[in-house]
Amino acid sequence: MSKILIIDDDLDIQETMGSLLEAEGFQISAAETVEKGLELIESESPALVLLDVMFPEKKTRGFEAAAEIKAKYPKLPLFVLTAINREYAFDFSKEDVKADEFLNKPVKIERLVKLIRNYL
Amino acid sequence: MASKIDSSEYADLNRVIGWFIVLRWVAWAGVAVTLSAVRLRMLFELPFPVLYALTGLLCLLNLSFTLYFRTLKKGNLSRRETAAFFHAQIVADYTLLFFLVYFTGFLDNPFSYFFVFHVMLTAFIFSSDVVFVYVGALVAVFVGVFLAEYGGLIPHYSLGAGVSAGNLRQSLPRLLSLVSTLALSAYLITSIKRRIAEKGERVEVELDRYKNLDKIKSNFILQVTHELRGPLAAMSGYHEMILRGIGGAPSPKTLEIIQKADHRTDNLLTIIDEMIDYAYMKSGEELRQAKSELALRELIDENLELLEPHAARKQIALVSNCPRELSVRATRDLLKIILGNLVNNAIKYSPARTTVTVNAQREGGEIHLLVRDEGFGIEPEELDKIFEEFYRTRRARELERDGTGLGLPIVKRAVESLTGRLTVYSELDKGTTFHIFLPATEATDEQDPDHR
Repeated sequence: MSKILIIDDDLDIQETMGSLLEAEGFQISAAETVEKGLELIESESPALVLLDVMFPEKKTRGFEAAAEIKAKYPKLPLFVLTAINREYAFDFSKEDVKADEFLNKPVKIERLVKLIRNYL
Repeated sequence: MASKIDSSEYADLNRVIGWFIVLRWVAWAGVAVTLSAVRLRMLFELPFPVLYALTGLLCLLNLSFTLYFRTLKKGNLSRRETAAFFHAQIVADYTLLFFLVYFTGFLDNPFSYFFVFHVMLTAFIFSSDVVFVYVGALVAVFVGVFLAEYGGLIPHYSLGAGVSAGNLRQSLPRLLSLVSTLALSAYLITSIKRRIAEKGERVEVELDRYKNLDKIKSNFILQVTHELRGPLAAMSGYHEMILRGIGGAPSPKTLEIIQKADHRTDNLLTIIDEMIDYAYMKSGEELRQAKSELALRELIDENLELLEPHAARKQIALVSNCPRELSVRATRDLLKIILGNLVNNAIKYSPARTTVTVNAQREGGEIHLLVRDEGFGIEPEELDKIFEEFYRTRRARELERDGTGLGLPIVKRAVESLTGRLTVYSELDKGTTFHIFLPATEATDEQDPDHR
């Protein structure tokens, strides 16, 4: 059973995305902060990471975290998810994001599962 | 002293130096011609040998200035050199003009007022304390020489008969007039300069304020999008959990209720996007986003994939056709706005079990993008209104309660931002087709074939 790590400060997103993925047969662990997430990657070695972009401490913390994770674990599949669905809101373009997939929340569960299976 | 130069546009100063040198040649020519004329016509008795010597000196001086500036420094001085060079020129000019005036009647000579120009130029170049030193020294020299002449310590070279140094009633008002004119010129030029500088500072402050507002505006869009879409993402997730029976199998009635709730949640997401896109477009911000070469097929597929669940609910088939190599120079946001709005509308305003088609192909110098549905169509008399802000057709309002009437105006704006054009054909109960023509990038042609 593949383990998926959700790094998101929104506990409701953790719960909904977590339960929906669990129902699809994945094992879930979750972290509220990037730091906690990095620890869990080390200790639990998940098969895939779902990472939020906006964290309370910094609006683009997720982008930095994505670069950190990809630098340290280049083979670990990483999806960056954000509720913000326009690049103009960030000073960032999709190409700059160091992630395997860059998705907008809410993402339909069928689509998310399909994409996850592409990487596992 | 080097730092006392008073000009924000440093590069301009080198041009000013060139201008000074030209002016000095003109002055030299003027002096030479006037002296010769005076001598030829025997107007005044003047110490011509001395005056010619001074004129020659002026010529030599300007020649050396020209050589130094044009030949040696190639018309480009450093900041330090510029200041030093200006001081040298000012001292030389003041001295030469002073002696020319002294030997031609001193205060009797109306040309003594030429010092006004020198003072103005000094004030133009240097900050007020430097100007004060120069003008103060000049005034002191004038008063000193006046007193020395009056006391008989040095000779007075009279310009005409009847005027002599001994005539205090005539000379003193002249001295006072000249001295006050010089002081006033210096004062006026330095204050005008200060005012201009203050205005410049105010402009800078305003500019900072606008930059700051701009940042706040961008942050605001980011914050609003996040705050509005975030909760809806969670809501949508909870709906999905209920629909999937996580936490207990739902009754058919519960399923129906949740489906309705989810439908309105999706509508709300669209409305938020439209409002934010509208605000963004109105701010003219989209022009600042850098365009890049985007693979059109990938964008179309991604867009259709996002809308697939909506289409599936109504058993609407989404069909796309786009050559793999087709690319367009645009911003991803604008294409997302165009495709998202048109396909979403097509699904929303089409009956179940129909087809929505998205085609893209290159046609000459353009990329032709087409979105076709087999929907309810648009009344001919409403067709020219659909691009008006907040306008919704009667049928659209009947079919879907939620809607801003901003979707198509935003699409139109987006197409225009990409310097494209947009046309629409519609037949009632047959369907609607939107055609979008975007300029194809020439880069695609110039690229080497291996690159494709």
